[in-house]
Amino acid sequence: MQKQRICSASDVPDNGMKSYDIEGRKILVVNAGECFHAYQGLCPHQDVCLDEGYFDGQLLTCHQHLWQWDIRTGDAVGLAEAPLEKYEVEVSEGEIFVVQSSALKAVDMLKDVSPASLERLEGLARREQLPAGTVIYEVDDPADDLYVLESGRVEFTIGRDDRTRLAGFMLRKGEVFGWAALLEQHPRRIARAVCHEDSVLLRLNGEAMLEALEADPTSGLMVMRRLATLVARHTTGPQNS
Amino acid sequence: MKIQVNARNRTHLFEASPGEKILHSGLARGIALPYECASGTCGTCKAKRVSGEIDDAWPDAPGRKSLKSADEFLMCQCVARTDVVAEVPAYVQMMDTGSCVPCAGAGRIASTEMLTHDVMLIDVDTDAPMEFDAGQFVLLGVDEVEGMRGWSMVNFDRHARRLRFVVRRKPDGVLSDWLFSGTSRFGTRVSLFGPLGHATFYPSLGRDLLCIAGGSGIAGVMSILSRAEQDDYFSRHSGDVFFGVRTARDVYFLEEFTRLRRACGQGLTVTVALSDEEPPSALVNDYPLIRFDRGFVHEVAKRHMAGRLGNVIAYLAGPPPAVDASIRMLLLSRVTADNIRYDKFS
Ligand SMILES: Cc1cc2nc3c(=O)[nH]c(=O)nc-3n(C[C@H](O)[C@H](O)[C@H](O)COP(=O)(O)OP(=O)(O)OC[C@H]3O[C@@H](n4cnc5c(N)ncnc54)[C@H](O)[C@@H]3O)c2cc1C
Ligand code: FES
Repeated sequence: MQKQRICSASDVPDNGMKSYDIEGRKILVVNAGECFHAYQGLCPHQDVCLDEGYFDGQLLTCHQHLWQWDIRTGDAVGLAEAPLEKYEVEVSEGEIFVVQSSALKAVDMLKDVSPASLERLEGLARREQLPAGTVIYEVDDPADDLYVLESGRVEFTIGRDDRTRLAGFMLRKGEVFGWAALLEQHPRRIARAVCHEDSVLLRLNGEAMLEALEADPTSGLMVMRRLATLVARHTTGPQNS
Repeated sequence: MKIQVNARNRTHLFEASPGEKILHSGLARGIALPYECASGTCGTCKAKRVSGEIDDAWPDAPGRKSLKSADEFLMCQCVARTDVVAEVPAYVQMMDTGSCVPCAGAGRIASTEMLTHDVMLIDVDTDAPMEFDAGQFVLLGVDEVEGMRGWSMVNFDRHARRLRFVVRRKPDGVLSDWLFSGTSRFGTRVSLFGPLGHATFYPSLGRDLLCIAGGSGIAGVMSILSRAEQDDYFSRHSGDVFFGVRTARDVYFLEEFTRLRRACGQGLTVTVALSDEEPPSALVNDYPLIRFDRGFVHEVAKRHMAGRLGNVIAYLAGPPPAVDASIRMLLLSRVTADNIRYDKFS
């Protein structure tokens, strides 16, 4: 999405929010007093319109099942199981414009990475457009690269030959898979990853990522912490490392 | 029938008996499929059919308005006709160990008593003992009425063989008309599915208890209070109960609240909010241990809880507008969502 005009700043009242349909997607504009924020307009949980929710100046809450987000970052708070996709906002001459931000900025694991390191990581990322049906990796392939979903849908299956089983799927911008690439002596893939729809992925080499993070240990530590949480969460089921 | 649910994190496989709702089959096997009302109104249990045939037992369910395409369906209303593969775009885990896994059962109506002109106290004896958590509900059905209804337990007992409910007559409601027709329903066989519901209370939560009930929403609150009393909870934490009804003739459980106040001491406060009239002085004088106030229940709660919401866990139940108003009030008072539990009697 190119830079896109959404509305006039005066259209959204102080501490209020409004959603707009732009090129087939809903975008929520929030007026937080001193600045504006823009997010995906539908709740990542069950596609409920977020403009019907609550905004208290700090937290945005979906009225359906009370998922909440930090209004400054879109980070999930409390019950929420997914962050909100954030758009970069520009206000110029009283008009609000948004730009879609990079999928890397939507990656939970990279949330605390310094802007400089994030830029380095952006430089490492290869953007790949893959048609539906593409096998991204097979069981037992070496786990060299990590992937970030930008759009589309990726499914994972475990098992071999005719004894395979679906082991989860990913469909949100910023979801990461193949994170075994960040582990020492990376294990081999234990699942098969296939594009279920035409998909766009960012592909990052694990070694190169680790090198970039070694140069910035503070960011590196935060990434490893979030990675540990991710691993813990996924040990209850999915095999998409 | 074999059901396969593809969730975001993994695949769940389970069997469904003929005629059994897909939601019920999964829950009964300890799979924490998403649901809220379990009765076709909220849309939380929606799933997408990937393959197989299903029958929709209630094509007019209001919850269907949250479905986006023809192959989406409500797991709480649909039954598999063949093996079914369905997709649930959520993380679906197994239920926590220690939670009460629901199952289908049966029982009979053991007694009924009118508490007010439109509220009935009903005891159901179950064929088998049921374990449930304080604040939970069951689905209950009778042969003469299509579909099941959610009713929250009033009591809290281990291995319960008797479930107690309070049911308010809904004008033109189908089960209401059957129940309040004047014919005695004593001895009627009922089918049950439960326990259900996430608005559960455990003494280990260790927070101040806030309960805001609109009308028969008080049912689950009584169960929570019963559990708290058994655990001497109010010697360690405060408890504030707000019970909202329209007028003095709609209020009940005042003797029970008085007994609880005596048993639990200063820790527990009970406030009855009348939305449509000033509390009559007769009522105020007869029940000195209960506070009466005028206003909508969420407004009254807001007034009396000012400055005391910092460490609460809140339980809300009743008609959806009352629950929504309370949720809004609490969120805007900076109570975090993980400390708000609710059942909408939709
Ligand atoms: C979690 C929960 C807990 C509840 N606890 C209580 C309680 O403790 N006390 C109380 O008085 N009420 C409670 N209710 C409300 C209760 O379930 C009924 O909605 C209410 O009693 C009115 O029933 P009715 O048949 O008179 O009204 P109706 O309007 O005829 O039906 C009400 C509900 O019954 C279900 N239903 C109706 N027709 C069908 C059908 N053909 N197939 C399938 N389902 C159908 C639907 O869920 C509908 O919303 C609770 C509701 C929920 C969701
Ligand atoms: S849980 Fe099925 S509609 Fe509410």
